[in-house]
Amino acid sequence: MTDCGCDKAKQELEEYLHNELKGADAADIRDHMEHCASCSGEHQVGVMLTEAVKRACKDQAPSELRDQVLLKLRTLQSH
Amino acid sequence: MVTALLTRPARALIRDSSGAADPSELNSWSMSKSADTSATAALDQPLVEMDSTALSTRTPAMGGAVDDLVVDPADAPAVTEAEATIEEALDEDEVGDDAVEDTAAPSPSDLRALFEEQALPFIDQLYAAGLRMARNPADAQDLVQETYVKAFAAFAGYQQGTNLKAWLYRILTNTFINNYRKKQRNPYQGTIDDLEDWQLGSAQSATSPVGRSAEAEAIDHLPDSAVKDALQAVPEDFRMAVYFADVEGFSYQEIADIMKTPVGTVMSRLHRGRRMLRELLGEYAKERGIAVGETSRRRSSKSTAPTEAAADTPGMTT
Repeated sequence: MTDCGCDKAKQELEEYLHNELKGADAADIRDHMEHCASCSGEHQVGVMLTEAVKRACKDQAPSELRDQVLLKLRTLQSH
Repeated sequence: MVTALLTRPARALIRDSSGAADPSELNSWSMSKSADTSATAALDQPLVEMDSTALSTRTPAMGGAVDDLVVDPADAPAVTEAEATIEEALDEDEVGDDAVEDTAAPSPSDLRALFEEQALPFIDQLYAAGLRMARNPADAQDLVQETYVKAFAAFAGYQQGTNLKAWLYRILTNTFINNYRKKQRNPYQGTIDDLEDWQLGSAQSATSPVGRSAEAEAIDHLPDSAVKDALQAVPEDFRMAVYFADVEGFSYQEIADIMKTPVGTVMSRLHRGRRMLRELLGEYAKERGIAVGETSRRRSSKSTAPTEAAADTPGMTT
């Protein structure tokens, strides 16, 4: 087990959050966060931010839009 | 392969000065499950110029070292190759992909049925993204409709088995930039990546572990309307990077392909966008008395009036 330290962790937390770190790099961050309240807190804020954005952006297309698109495609094709 | 590139921001290696006709951009899509990562990552073109560099992803060699992909502008594909592009794409289908049922020339109605079956399920997602781009439902609907029309027109050139969702998002993004962005005044578009952090008005957020856990909790309790408003206040390129990563879960490389920008720029946009968002939400929470370092006793009375947040949210005046 190695601790990569706060500098590396803080720098790579966002990539870690977005699953862009693989293997050893991700493990380094995880290991570090186990012992570092500051970095794990920072990570938690990041997770919540992602969740909040996800939650807020669940818009559904109006059904008339779907109908319009279908109609348009069929009209286009008949040309 | 992808991740190896991601941690090291790709430098701009390709300068493509070719002009390109509008329709051809849709056929230039070659993002695939394979190693088609380096070329688009190396394009150092701001979003705003996409219409003039539409063919630039059609760089020849894929999968080699990034350093090998230096393309002389003179070798860049010309506008007139649009038709050849379609044929090529079809040829590739015939040769390479046994998942495709109708390899020869699918009848128009087969193609339309396939398109409807494959592309239409993404309409909610495209609409939600369109709302983040166009800022109002009417424009978002027009944008999505136009995206489907363009995608359908280019569908014969779409390579089955590659990332359809990302392909559609790229068309959505292109369509927005070409047809809608010009209508919106935003003097910093196209240059915002060059701004220094201090010009973006960012500051460090809470530093103590206690502050952070309160911050996380506050964010968790914010009404959706506040989050949407804050998102809209973030400059567009940053906002969409955040949207693509956090809502759609696209990889950095996929976002780079959609936004036609190097992975390093994606990372920077994401980082800045998320930080701005965090600050805006922090300010919002503080103003509303939501749980930053204290109990959220005022929340219930405030959360019933989310619509006023639009006017109240302190905007990033970019």
